Amino acid sequence: MDLFLQYVANGVVTGSTYVLVAVGLTLIFGILGVVNFAHGEFYMIGGYVGILAITVLKLPVFAAIAVVLLAAAVIGLLAEAILHKPLKSHDATNSIISSFGLAVALQNAALVVMGPQPQRLNLDVSKIPILASIPTDFGPVFLPQQRTLIPLTMVILIGVLYVILKYTWTGRSLRAMAQHPTVARLCGVRIQSVAVVTFMVGAGLAGIAGMLMSSIFFVYPVVGNMIALKAFTVVILGGMGNVAGAAVAGLLLGITESLTSAYLANGMRDIVGFVIVILMLLFRPQGLFGKVAERS
Amino acid sequence: MSAIIEARGITKRFGGVVAVDAVDLAVEKGQILGLIGPNGSGKSTMVNLVTGEMMADEGSLSFNGADIARMALHRRARAGMARSFQMLRLFQSLSVEENLVLANHMRMKTSVVDSFFGRADSRAEDARARVKARELLAWFDLQEFADRPVTAMSIGQQRMVEIARGLMSEPTLLVLDEPAAGLSPPNVDKLIALIRRLRDEFGISILLVEHVMRVVRDLCDRVVVLDSGKKIAEGAPDVVVKDPVVVEAYIGSGWKRRAQA
Amino acid sequence: MKPYLTGLGIALALAFAPFFLGGYETNVLMMMLFFIILAVGLDLVAGYCGQFSFATGAFYGLGAYTAAILNRDMGSPIWLNLPAGALVAGLFGLLLGIPALRLKGHFLAIVTIAFQTIVYLTISQWTSFTGGQVGLSLANPAPLNLGFVTIEMGSLRSYYWLTLAVSVICLLVAWRLAHSRIGSEWIAIRDDETLAAAVGIDTTRGKLSAFVASAALAGVAGVLTAHALRGVTPDDYTIWISATVVAMMVLGGRGTFIGPILGAVFLVLVPELLGKFAEYKMLIYGVLLVLAITLMPEGVIGRLRKRAAR
Repeated sequence: MDLFLQYVANGVVTGSTYVLVAVGLTLIFGILGVVNFAHGEFYMIGGYVGILAITVLKLPVFAAIAVVLLAAAVIGLLAEAILHKPLKSHDATNSIISSFGLAVALQNAALVVMGPQPQRLNLDVSKIPILASIPTDFGPVFLPQQRTLIPLTMVILIGVLYVILKYTWTGRSLRAMAQHPTVARLCGVRIQSVAVVTFMVGAGLAGIAGMLMSSIFFVYPVVGNMIALKAFTVVILGGMGNVAGAAVAGLLLGITESLTSAYLANGMRDIVGFVIVILMLLFRPQGLFGKVAERS
Repeated sequence: MSAIIEARGITKRFGGVVAVDAVDLAVEKGQILGLIGPNGSGKSTMVNLVTGEMMADEGSLSFNGADIARMALHRRARAGMARSFQMLRLFQSLSVEENLVLANHMRMKTSVVDSFFGRADSRAEDARARVKARELLAWFDLQEFADRPVTAMSIGQQRMVEIARGLMSEPTLLVLDEPAAGLSPPNVDKLIALIRRLRDEFGISILLVEHVMRVVRDLCDRVVVLDSGKKIAEGAPDVVVKDPVVVEAYIGSGWKRRAQA
Repeated sequence: MKPYLTGLGIALALAFAPFFLGGYETNVLMMMLFFIILAVGLDLVAGYCGQFSFATGAFYGLGAYTAAILNRDMGSPIWLNLPAGALVAGLFGLLLGIPALRLKGHFLAIVTIAFQTIVYLTISQWTSFTGGQVGLSLANPAPLNLGFVTIEMGSLRSYYWLTLAVSVICLLVAWRLAHSRIGSEWIAIRDDETLAAAVGIDTTRGKLSAFVASAALAGVAGVLTAHALRGVTPDDYTIWISATVVAMMVLGGRGTFIGPILGAVFLVLVPELLGKFAEYKMLIYGVLLVLAITLMPEGVIGRLRKRAAR
């Protein structure tokens, strides 16, 4: 039982990264209809920028986070200008190919700048004032501070995003776009600025996830590939454009993977989410939490 | 007289809304049955239930004596049903002739495998279908459009192509969904003459959904009136349009619409 | 008759090419032929039938691994592996076609991505059967003994000719499919699926046949590739291959047959021509892809046809 709880806790940590990556993806996918293959690269860039900011620029952690957010905002702006603005009048496949090209370019730019060697952020969280107070023992479960930091950050960021979506004009515009783009435009929503904000938010969340994970796992130029693919399954499981759905589905996927790897076979770990998504699309196409609606 | 198609107690619900509520209708052989009613009365849903685009929740449907209630759309077409659409529907990337030939595929004796291997009998059959398509286009006076994309035609001409496409499949029942929508008055006259010829020359039974009362009065042998998904009247056109219940349904809903505006 | 004669002429010219080219160039030509089969195959299901698929890499891999595993376990020669690879990939194509009967657009795209990833993860993790990340190696193709003469198949030239011959057959099959009755039914399904069914077209048969044909062609390309490289590794059959083939098809012009061929030639050549910028070549490739799709969203052939129509 104790071991089981430990597996669940480990699942929550990876699941939290899925949530951070998938929430941005679900907004971009659900609101703008862009299938963004380059989303994993936002994560990768977040990891590298975090490492550079802390080890090369010797910045304190919180300043490094600001640098990551800034870099992510720039990348988000760039991605919108490439994937959405010039292509929105054409069908979705063109933006898919464009995002594929952008992903190839970003991965290889990272390869040129950072080299193929996997890198890791050496950060001793226990020496940082506020973060040092995070507990490491939760009953039978043990989690180092940099791991606990991930679900913690996820809950804070998604909470803030949720409030923004619910109570601000920008948030309402976003939701209006997701419901009905034409009507939203007639009501005075400026699609262009909504699109830019959406991409920036998506890149920011994924970038933070990449930075946090870089202290646990290695960062390398193609690290974003599998993360992005899994985030797509989370988006579908949670329902397109559904932030709360993506949060729940992301955590569930993390936990399912952790348990699969512990009790079934480690090799099945990565596959399980994709099998679930195919089964779900066949038998429950509205998503785990969605209501019945026309899907096309 | 025997019915080509006979629907009994057809019901369709969308969530809590009953779009079509226990409707009976029958099209007799060689006749034109009109289906009318105010906007939102369930006419289009009823048509889609008859042709198989949607499946009814309840009720029976027989076509040429066979039960087709659960039959898929393409099988109903093969059984002899053809239709036109209220919103014009043609294959946009194909020529007018190709649009017609496609509707004839299901009548061909040679298989797609024969066609793949370019066998002589299959090629001959394709050629016959093209000749037939051109003959039909000539009948509608549209032969010069055969090789052109459908997008090169006017709305009215595209409506004619839809009807020609229906004829390509040698149907026993033709369902026309508001064929007069968007046509100018002289073109409406042409349409009326044309539909009459369809029945007289091709011997096809027709289910006609229409808003334009003149078309209904001139063509229909009988009329079924729907309101809020229910059948409220049935009979000869001249009698039905004077029925107080029908007048109430039309004027009442018109009145409500004006009040809302 | 004209397209057949043109095709024959090009094939003949290509048959003489190895006499004038070095080993490297011949290999590039061969790579081009593999991707032409893949792109034209994808065009059948995505361009003609309108069912978007990101699983070309999976079918390509299924063909390649069928060849490698049959070769390992039974020593089967390429003559047997070609139909076997087409069959295995085709069956999986049928499997993937089933969700396509119910799903459209983005949802179908995601299912094909999930399928692609499952196939990739399976071949990279099922080490006892597929060799895992290391992959498998294939024996040299056995000499072909025709009784009166024995043809050595191990040389680059003879393998190139075999590839060319198989490619010609694949393209002929694809051309006939696209330009016979089933092809126009695919176009009808792409344009308006409900209308297609309303004029009596069996859309289930149409969609499934497009998936099977596309997958089987990719399977053939996989068998050819496995024998050409004398081995298989999972990383040659990833979603990035699928995306590259999609890019080839769209850049050339989907649903045009000739377009995807040009797209394949172009996108195979670009990284090779950028050879001297080795370090930056994939970076430039990515940027070029973005530029090309932004400037020419309907593809080269699509653009030309639009202009001709005006």
